[in-house]
Amino acid sequence: MTLEAFKAGEALTMGVELELQLVDLTDFDLTAAAADMLFLLGKQPFPGDVKPEITESMIEISTDVHTDYGALLGQLGQMRNALVEAGDRLNVGVCGGGTHPFQRWSEQRIFDKPRFQELSALYGYLAKQFTVFGQHVHIGCASADEGLYLLHALNRYLPHFIALSASSPFLQGVDTLFDSARLNSVFAFPLSGRAPFLLRWEDFAQDYFGKMESTGVVKSMKDFYWDIRPKPEYGTIELRVCDTPLSVERAAALAAYLQALCRMLREQGEQGEPVSEDDYLVYNYNRFQACRFGLDATLVHPRRHETLPLRDDVLATLAQLAPHAAVLGSTGALDVLRRVVASGNHAGDLRRWYGESGGLRGMVDAAVRTFRGDES
Amino acid sequence: MMLESLGNPLAGMAWPLALLLAWLAGEAISRWLSLPRVCGYALAGFVLASGQLGLLPQPAGTPVALLADFAIALVLFELGQRINLNWLRHNRWLAVTSLVEAFGTFIVVLLVARGFGLAPLPALLLAALAMSSSPVAALRVANELHCSGQVTERMLHLSAFNCVFAVLVFKAIAGYWVLTSAGGLLPALWSSLAVIGVSAGIGAMFGVAVPTLLRWQRRGGGDATVIFAIATLLLVSLTHALQFSALLAALVFGLVVRYRRIVFSGADRGFGTLGSLLTILLFVFASATLSWSQVAQGAGLALAVLVVRTLCKVGACVAFAGLSGIGWRKGALTGLALTPMSVFAILLLEQTRHLGIDVFAQVAGLGLLVLALELLGPVATQRALILAGEAGREEGG
Repeated sequence: MTLEAFKAGEALTMGVELELQLVDLTDFDLTAAAADMLFLLGKQPFPGDVKPEITESMIEISTDVHTDYGALLGQLGQMRNALVEAGDRLNVGVCGGGTHPFQRWSEQRIFDKPRFQELSALYGYLAKQFTVFGQHVHIGCASADEGLYLLHALNRYLPHFIALSASSPFLQGVDTLFDSARLNSVFAFPLSGRAPFLLRWEDFAQDYFGKMESTGVVKSMKDFYWDIRPKPEYGTIELRVCDTPLSVERAAALAAYLQALCRMLREQGEQGEPVSEDDYLVYNYNRFQACRFGLDATLVHPRRHETLPLRDDVLATLAQLAPHAAVLGSTGALDVLRRVVASGNHAGDLRRWYGESGGLRGMVDAAVRTFRGDES
Repeated sequence: MMLESLGNPLAGMAWPLALLLAWLAGEAISRWLSLPRVCGYALAGFVLASGQLGLLPQPAGTPVALLADFAIALVLFELGQRINLNWLRHNRWLAVTSLVEAFGTFIVVLLVARGFGLAPLPALLLAALAMSSSPVAALRVANELHCSGQVTERMLHLSAFNCVFAVLVFKAIAGYWVLTSAGGLLPALWSSLAVIGVSAGIGAMFGVAVPTLLRWQRRGGGDATVIFAIATLLLVSLTHALQFSALLAALVFGLVVRYRRIVFSGADRGFGTLGSLLTILLFVFASATLSWSQVAQGAGLALAVLVVRTLCKVGACVAFAGLSGIGWRKGALTGLALTPMSVFAILLLEQTRHLGIDVFAQVAGLGLLVLALELLGPVATQRALILAGEAGREEGG
């Protein structure tokens, strides 16, 4: 079987997937409640899509395809409300955050579905250790080649998404000092990292995917855990580096930021702005900086080879995107992110709650209330 | 009997020896039959009791009884911590389930007991005891299997609520019995409510004081279990001295601590080693209070009560399953998981000894019911939780 055709469609559409945590409201540890939640949610129409994830204490929601930030935000809000209501009826807390701060991976139960059981058998403890929670954003592409162009042009902005979404400072009960510890877990997988530098879909499908497939290492695009990967059956590229933020409002803002960026990069592409493999020289370094220091990171510009504070780079990009956001109707989203740059990301909030409430449980409690929309 | 001839040295070693044998029985039953360990403890306690092999003297009213009270108080404290009263606000049908399963059981058991010719007061006491689902077996089995899910959560909540109802009704009826001359059932119910109110008040006081102490000492976590265990011990002695309900006080203590946001981590669940040791003692104590002569009577009544009680609990949980947000199958398993009753019932009886009612003598069949449920109840809970797919570890504990 070769790679399926890229189902190109309308450019700059967007869709969001969020992996969410299910927590016990007594001890605020993860709880294996996915089956019960899905049963209850299945009894009435859900405003979007909801499905199980690899362990029983995760649940994944996804939106429809949107072009408008307001409509995306509206749907995410409705899905959030439906989840919170179901959680209330079952005594289960739902919350965001890229990691659960003190769960023990050895105690997680693998969801009873063939694909998950297979992954568990192959990856062993990695599968359970992969109890981390990400936000994935899909952007629709007018053609497969456009998708590959955007995928590689975006690489320079990847640290922005890591820093803005970072919400996983704690792991196994300790502060890792990373703002996003989650991505370190993703890096443990053999097929993680970045996509190979190929700009034509034919080359990608035949030269790369075809060869990889014949090695027997992969069967489908799903087996790649890249930071950004093409999703041919949707006709999208999928950004996968974001931690699930603590609120759906921030998740929507991140998606709109990506949409506006893609609009700008598309225009640059049409004007003949090239992308080059050398852009990846500093990729892993910048990625590390963003994971470790969040908005306080220092980036190296891939072309100018000079250092610049990530915070300044985000603010400059937000200013640059203003006309694009005005056209797309997402100026409000950029305002949300400007406030994040000023007042700190969710990793900072979590650390603050940890200090105020005197513990990990109080911190998760605050995260559950934040997801409900009770505060922040 | 036969062991008595060995004389005093052995008598002093009776309890430690019984604990050792019970532990061995628990491990054996868990390893070879995949049954809950507590069944082994109960079986050992019954076999070694004064009425049977005679290693253990009748423990009721001895200092061992106080230790058993302490043990069950620790369990109720932990249960209280896991009770989320907000859940009832968000899920009214769960509250309805609780009322129907508890009072439905009361009514059907009362009818069956009267049908078997029991006098009204003993029948009422039996019905009150039958309402309760022993939280000891429920919590122990759930912790041993690392359970999480709706059946587990609902079992623990319903068990806590029906124990409160059982204490309320039992105390009212017992009070009425003792004070028949002093007025009707209504005044007795009032005095029972007062006992419950004061017991809850004492528990709440502890629930405020201990976390404050803990916060003053240092930030929560770590060794918190020690201070909670000491506080529970103090609570039990205090309520005993004042003849209030240690069971309720401990439950409310845990509940209030929950709202002060101090909660044990998974590792501390069941009070660790202390909890495991005291659980053995508790089950041995409970079944050692039973004698063969009590058990041999009233098999018909015991069997009938066992059947209608189970049907009623399962029926109520199934009836409101859909409305309260789970499937009927999980509803039925919740009802089944509520089967245990014995340890709580025995301790409730033990704590009302000062009223001078020998309920076992009055209710032929209670002995067999209690023994049967002490052995079968934990098995029912264990099977229900495994069938519901909520066990993290599938071995017998």
